[in-house]
Amino acid sequence: MQLFLQQVINGLSLGGIYALIALGYTMVYGIIELINFAHGDVYTLGSFIALAIITLFGVSGVLSGWALVGVIAVTLIGSMVLCGLVGVIIERLAYRRLRNAPRLAPLITAIGVSFVLENIMQLWKGPSPILFPSVIPNATWRVGGVMIQSNELLVIFTAVGMMGFLQIIIYNTKLGKAMRATAQDRDAAQLMGININTTIALTFFIGSALAGAGGFVSGVYYGSTWFFNGFSAGLKAFTAAVLGGIGNFTGAMLGGFLIGLIESLTAGFISDQWANVAVFVVLVLVLVFRPSGLLGEVLPDKV
Amino acid sequence: MCVRPPLERYVQMLTGSRHAGFALIAAVAIIACGLRMAPVSAATAVVKIGVELPLSGADASQGTPMLDGVLLAAAQANAKAPKGLTFKVTALDEAVGGVHNPQQGATNVKSFSADTGVLGILGPLASNVAAAEIPIVNAAGIALISGSATNPDLTKTQKLRTTHPNDIDFFRVCATDDLQGAVGAQFAKEQGYKKVYVIDDNETYGKGLADVFAASFAKLGGDVLGHDHVTPNQQDFRALLTKVAATNPDAVFFGGVTATGGLLIRQQMSSAGLDPAKVAYLGGDGFQDPAYPQQAGAAGNNTYYTAATPNLAALPAARKFVADYKKRFGNEPSAYSANYYVAAQVLINAIEKSMKAYGGKVPTRALVLKELRETKNFPSILGTFSFDRNGDTTNPLFSIFAIKNQKEVWIKQIIAKRK
Repeated sequence: MQLFLQQVINGLSLGGIYALIALGYTMVYGIIELINFAHGDVYTLGSFIALAIITLFGVSGVLSGWALVGVIAVTLIGSMVLCGLVGVIIERLAYRRLRNAPRLAPLITAIGVSFVLENIMQLWKGPSPILFPSVIPNATWRVGGVMIQSNELLVIFTAVGMMGFLQIIIYNTKLGKAMRATAQDRDAAQLMGININTTIALTFFIGSALAGAGGFVSGVYYGSTWFFNGFSAGLKAFTAAVLGGIGNFTGAMLGGFLIGLIESLTAGFISDQWANVAVFVVLVLVLVFRPSGLLGEVLPDKV
Repeated sequence: MCVRPPLERYVQMLTGSRHAGFALIAAVAIIACGLRMAPVSAATAVVKIGVELPLSGADASQGTPMLDGVLLAAAQANAKAPKGLTFKVTALDEAVGGVHNPQQGATNVKSFSADTGVLGILGPLASNVAAAEIPIVNAAGIALISGSATNPDLTKTQKLRTTHPNDIDFFRVCATDDLQGAVGAQFAKEQGYKKVYVIDDNETYGKGLADVFAASFAKLGGDVLGHDHVTPNQQDFRALLTKVAATNPDAVFFGGVTATGGLLIRQQMSSAGLDPAKVAYLGGDGFQDPAYPQQAGAAGNNTYYTAATPNLAALPAARKFVADYKKRFGNEPSAYSANYYVAAQVLINAIEKSMKAYGGKVPTRALVLKELRETKNFPSILGTFSFDRNGDTTNPLFSIFAIKNQKEVWIKQIIAKRK
């Protein structure tokens, strides 16, 4: 039982990271129906940027007090803003001109952008995994024999906090309303005076910023980062978005946590090599019985 | 992921400055005569030795010191060779995009086979490239000697000898992974570890090594707590390590290289409840990567691994080699420089011997191969060895290294017991 709960905590932390990435996938898909394959690499870029900011501060050991809060806040916001800007640039350069092209075309450029980002990161920090300094104190709480660590809490709270933040943006702001309108019917939204280009760019900004936050917390959580991490993390997060119902925010979150849990429990109680198999078996089963995902609604075909 | 056009850097070097002028004249003579027909009188003989290694990109840091080992052996042989005989080293790069590549390796070996002046080839770096090349040298009947490809199946079965199953054309002076796993298990027992958890990366090298380690450790009376496989590009090992921690191991063995999980597993151990200071980390030559102690930080300490190389500093016989190498190339040789130095010496020895038996004329490839297969008690800086009936060395030498204070430390040298 103790081991089970321990694996649940592992799963929730892993799921938190997937959820943060999945939110970006779902937002972009929701608004322009593009599977943004470069999104996983934006997440890795987030950890690289966070590492650069931490290095800039000259932090190499554990911090405490206000210094800790300050560094976490600046790093988190810094990696979010920079990743957001990268997202906007990617949209502007690689996707905007192809918005009305056949759907395969932006998909291919997305893969191209993914390669570009991976290679930039490989040139930047080299081909091996790199050490990420453990800025937060490695505190451990024991609750009934179960070990809960500070870095696990950081991941879970960041994921849930970002989710709440996103809900407020989507449902309580004008921008959110514009995003929802654009997602529903781009032409009609434009006729109503919504600036489509700005709205889509801002969607990319928010989605990529969330991936940047994911990158930072993953760096702290694993104590390392690697230029190629985004490939498999992106794939899992995409699966999470589909599992939850692509285009649905709560679904992306739920999907992320579910996949994290399935992976951890399979690795913990069956075998590590079956973890991916279990994830995709669950995905297939869910899609067989609910083709639009767990929380996805069956929408009338657009266009 | 960028796909570069196959970078074919043709490195051609004349070894031994004393004979450079003569070699040049000889080379011109060969070109002038067109296709040269053997036998040619030794008075004008230039014997080519092919080298097939990765010489560009990330792998070049491994391949270049190997090539230098060959160059040194050839230069020393030229200094002693009878007047008129020159060994010329011709190298082809097998790296594509900076990584050793089986297709490129096969292409290189084909071009060496087509050049009748080449009497033997040294290389390749890795087992998967060797697997692509062995069928070609087997069909062409030319010798290929590696100092670093360690997968046992390359020689132990006839699978790769597709044209002449009974002909041995591939030799190696390095020990194989089946012995490496056993040496690792023996060492784990000597260290007093009783319970070991085994993990591997599910690749040819890693899984092969881990399987042998687990079987040998169990045979020695050790307790193998479990055996798990990880998947490519995996980032999260916490769930697996939480499970491992629950079994309370004395050590964790990882079969694989640092890039397929070797590094990340060690880094994530402490957060899963495995204290790196108490739980040792064991592995094979896949851990011999300068990035490992650097990136693992303090968690990298208490790591032990085997490697199929000598420790040059501890071998009295190697002192002259190290001095000569430093004098010639200005830097320290790598452990594999010595392996390729010896591989080149074996080949040169076979060529010289068959030449003598052939009446002083340049021998055919078949004669060189015959000499190589009959290599007995060859004295070298790696020890005295012969080639067994599979073409493997009878002197499988291993070193055990540890990471202490974030630095690689040599522990001891072991000659493995052959099965």
